[in-house]
Parts: sequence; C-alpha cells; structure tokens
Amino acid sequence: MTVADDIDVAADSPAEATPRLIRKGALYGVLSALMVVFCVVPFILVIVISFGRKVEGAAWVWDFTFENYQRFFVGVLWPDEVTFLYLQQLGYSFYFAIIASLLAVLTALPFTLLLTRLKRSAQAIWLVFILSSLSMSEVFIVMGWDILLSNNSGLPRLFQVTGLTQWLKDVGWFQTLRDIGLANPRNVKFKPSEFATILTMSYLVWPYAVILLYPALSRLDPSLSEAARTMGASRWTVTRTVTLPSIRLPLMGTTLLLFVFLLGSYVTISVFATPDKQTTAVAIYSNIRGSNLNAPFGSAQAVILLISASICLYFGHLLNRKAEAR
Amino acid sequence: MTDLILSGVSKTFGNTRAVEPTDLTFAKGQLTALLGPSGCGKTTLLRMIAGLENPTRGQIKLGDDDITDLPAHKRKFGMVFQSFALFPHYTVRENVAYSLIIGGMSKPTALEKAESLLATVQLNGFGDRRVGELSGGQRQRVAIARALAQEPQVFLLDEPMSALDAKLREDMQVELRLLQQRLGITTIVVTHDQREAMTMADTIVVMSNGRVEQVAPPQDIYHRPANVFVADFIGKANFFDGLYQSGGVMIGSQALEVPANFAPESPVRLAIRPESACLATELGPNRIPAVVGFVRDLGPVREYHLTTDIGPIIVEYAAGSDEQKLTAGDKTLVHLPPDALRVYPRTAA
Repeated sequence: MTVADDIDVAADSPAEATPRLIRKGALYGVLSALMVVFCVVPFILVIVISFGRKVEGAAWVWDFTFENYQRFFVGVLWPDEVTFLYLQQLGYSFYFAIIASLLAVLTALPFTLLLTRLKRSAQAIWLVFILSSLSMSEVFIVMGWDILLSNNSGLPRLFQVTGLTQWLKDVGWFQTLRDIGLANPRNVKFKPSEFATILTMSYLVWPYAVILLYPALSRLDPSLSEAARTMGASRWTVTRTVTLPSIRLPLMGTTLLLFVFLLGSYVTISVFATPDKQTTAVAIYSNIRGSNLNAPFGSAQAVILLISASICLYFGHLLNRKAEAR
Repeated sequence: MTDLILSGVSKTFGNTRAVEPTDLTFAKGQLTALLGPSGCGKTTLLRMIAGLENPTRGQIKLGDDDITDLPAHKRKFGMVFQSFALFPHYTVRENVAYSLIIGGMSKPTALEKAESLLATVQLNGFGDRRVGELSGGQRQRVAIARALAQEPQVFLLDEPMSALDAKLREDMQVELRLLQQRLGITTIVVTHDQREAMTMADTIVVMSNGRVEQVAPPQDIYHRPANVFVADFIGKANFFDGLYQSGGVMIGSQALEVPANFAPESPVRLAIRPESACLATELGPNRIPAVVGFVRDLGPVREYHLTTDIGPIIVEYAAGSDEQKLTAGDKTLVHLPPDALRVYPRTAA
C-alpha cells in the first residue's frame, strides 16, 4: 500500500466505510452461496444417495442402508458368498493410474530438463505447443490412439506391410509378444490391452507433467550438477545424487496429482482395457447412466473412490513432509 | 603436483569470441588470480580449465598430460562456485564427504574425513547442520572443504567472495590465502575485485575483452602496469595525453621529462599513481602550478584534488606524513617525478 492509499483510507469517514463493508460482505456471501450450491450440494447428494436403495425394475428410493458399501467390499451375496469384483475394479483403477502417472512423469522429466536448457524463445514455443495440446479433449485423443493402434489400419497393419511382423517372427520375439497379449497368431495386436490403456493414459497427462515439472526444473541451479561433476560424479551419478533429490518434492507432487487425475479416467479404460480389467470409474458410469441404473451403488463407488484418493493424497503429503524433514 | 599449462586456448560462442588464444602457465603450489571486469572471459577460462567448457582451440596440459578433452569428472579439480553450489538435500558433513563417497570410500570413513576437513576450515560441530542453516561465510567454508576433500591437484574458485559482505570478504581473503599456503595446492581464483587479487595472489592475470593484458606479481601489476587498461583497472591513476618529443612529453605548453623512448611526435598517454605524485614548494623540472579544488580525508590517506594546466590531478598522502597542509583554493605546485611516470603509446580513439 502506498502512502497515498494510506491517506485515502484514513480519509474515509465511518459513514462512508459502512456501505463499502456491506458491499464487500454481500459479495463474499454470494460467492459462498455459489460454492455451496455448485460444489458442496452435489457432493452431499452423492453421499446421501449412496445410502439409498435400488428398486428392481424401477429407479431408486431414499433410504439409509449400508448394503451398497457391503456389496462393494464383499459382494451382494454376503455372507453366503464373498466376491471381490468391485474391490478388484478399484485395484485396477489404482494399478492403471499409478503405472500411467509414473510413466508420464518419468518420460516428462528428461524432456523437461532438456527443455529448460534451450534458449528462452525456444522454451516459449515448446510451452505454448504443450499448453495448446491440453485443449484437446480426452475423447479426441483416445479416438486418435484408437485409430493408431487399430488392427486393420494402424500400427499392426504397418508392421505387417513393412515386414516387421515377419522379422519379429524370424528373430523369435513374436512369441514373447503373444505371451504378453500383444499379438495374435497372425500379427501384432495392441488393443485391447494394458499396454494401450497405460500408453494412452500416460499420453493424456504427459503435457500436465511437463507443465507441472517445468517451474521446478527451470529454477534448478545448474552449478549444483557442475559442482558434482568437478567432484568426480558421472552424468548418471549427478542425476541420481543431485538432480533427482533436488526435485523430489515437485516429482512426488506431480506424480500424485496425475495419479488422482487418472483415477477417474473413463474413456481410455472403456476403449482400451479388456472387459476383465475395467475400473471403478467405468463401473460408476454404468451404474448411474448405463444399463444398470443403480444410482445408489454408483454413488457408493464414487464415495469410496474419493476416499481412496484422499487417503493416497494424505500419504503423499506425509511422505513429502518426511522428505522435507530429511 | 605439476604446472598447469594453457597453450593457445580460445573459446567462441556462436559469433562471439569469449576468450582470445591464450598462453598461460600456472605454477605448481602458487595462487593465481584471474582479474578483470565482468564479461572479460575470466570465468570462461576457468570453466575450460575445470572441464565444464570445451576450448574451441588450444591445449590444456597438467604436467605432461594433455587434459584438453578430459571430462570434468575425470579431472577432479576442486572447484568453489560463485553461488557455492552446496547440495541442499545433504547435511554439511554429507556435502563435504560427497566426492569421497562417490569415489568409492566407505561412508563411515568418508564422513570421518569430512569432519576433519570441517575442522580445517574452522567449522567443528557444524557437520549435522543443513545448508540452509548456515551463514554466507560458513557456506563458503563448507564449499572450500568440499572442494578440497578429493585432494585436488588444482583448486579453482569462481568469484568465491562475491556473495559475502565487505568485512567478511576481507577476513576470508586472508583465511583462504593462509589455507592455500598451508596446503600448497595450485590455486586459480577468478575475481573482479583488484583488492582481493592483490591480497591473495602470487601472480595476477589481468584480462580484458577475452585477452590477457598482463601476467605479473601484484606489486609489478600495480607499479609497472603493462598498458593503459591495466594502469586504469588496477588502483587509481592520473592520466594525461600528449606528444612525445626528444626526452620528454609535451602536454599543451607544458613539457614533462619521462624515462621513455618513442618516435618524435608520437601520441602518448602518461600515467602516474596518486601516491607517486607529491606537492612541492619550489619550481623545478616536472613541477606544475596547481590550485587545490578539494581535500578528501579518508582517515588512513588524504587526497588533494588539484586543477592544473594539463588537467585534473589527484595527489595522495598516507596519514601522518609531513605533507603541506592545504585547503581548497590554495595555490601550490605538483611534482610528477619522471621515474614515477609511465608512458604508453596512444592510438587514435
């Protein structure tokens, strides 16, 4: 605040200050109300509906039952029979999100490091390009990868036409691809597969990884790695002992953020994952809008997914604090 | 330990020549200061010696070994950076032990040795602290201990005092010099501070625009500067432009005797240190009438700012000397002793 501002404030009489305070209070009130209506109310509704009951052949009714949560953890036939179908889906949600977020961060890290060493003008061009790629919707990106990996017109076709498939067969690697589910008897096949799912999920969040890592890496003092080099450290030792520890907090933060983002991934999973590896996000959609029409169970799944993500974030926060304390 | 020899070493960045072809020998066990204004190429030269930049041309030898293409991590020259470059994720002890641990020494032995190095730089008991908990001077000592841990053949320091305040800088200059003399390591210090270079160095290399202007011991650099740039950059000097005549220099209508030999009518520039000029009472050769414009008393020295026919002249006396006590407006004579006058050829601007 400047001296002139001070004088202005001091010059305000109580009579003038009161309407301004009222206006300010009203503005905060409206903003708070909007927050409640658009954020808190839907969230509370989901929690309340998760205790509701599905009526067979109809929609659902308000209730207060734990049946939906019980179904999620031990199956609908408990205690006669225990099934972990929905827990398994939650497991796949975590599995895909963890691997894809790690892959995105691990590949974005060297790219971003190189990016920070470019000239300022080149960095700006790259950053604008990466930022603009964020404007593409998930559906559009998945469609692109779907075509790229499709058996008839995508990479498998290219493998066949260029003779790469035959070469893989000749060197004996084709059988290995078959063993991990990336080939049928005739040609390579990339979808549906975990490979395609994870690859596309990583691709989706890769620009976010670059944007989130860029500030930390651009602030990294180059003399730290130079100092290590003058002390006998090879490039790999510098990366291991200086660069990575120096940016461990942004690395962990970025991975956690991408992980939480990917937990809710829907389109990629429904297009590329095999039916036995569908995730909680897909199951929520089928229950709420899909064929099942079981909003209470879908809501219970959503609440459990949210709580799981919160627990992960909390543990991530604890790890960060531990790392900071070291 | 052997001499470090640079032969025709130069560095070009794009179209910019950062370091002109340079020949230098850094004698073993000596402290050499690379001194010059910002952007003169001294840091680039140091980085080429460290292996952090590749020379565009030339050869760097350590004794008989050609190390021009040897990467930095194989040279293992201890280096202290301007920012100190201490690793924030390690403790002070771990920082100092870093080169030992990555060099294959067992961690307990390395940490033990680090503790003794910390004692060498008077930081006993600081081993468990984080870098962020240290003052500027303490950080510098840690950086020095860390660089010395690998027992380098050559010790490099890039503007090591620039992050310290004036008082601490003076103390650290003396401390660093004492440490270097005790360890006897070939040391190269980059600095733009002539006082720092004069305090610490056995030899000073003055650089300007990527060129070496003079290589000499501090006293020679000060009293016998090789050219106008060195005379101007190191310490203070009075300058006068004139034309060389047989046995003297004409500055306007004033003739000055000088101990130099140039072709008649050559344009020259004269330089004299303020403490080499003196006030006089009687007329004589090289004595010029002057009027006192301003007296600047700095405590240890007193400066007389004089106006003369050949231009402004500053005369400096040490405190306690028996100079005439003059005040502003007083008329006097200023004596420019011929043996104190340095004469340089003057090229057209």
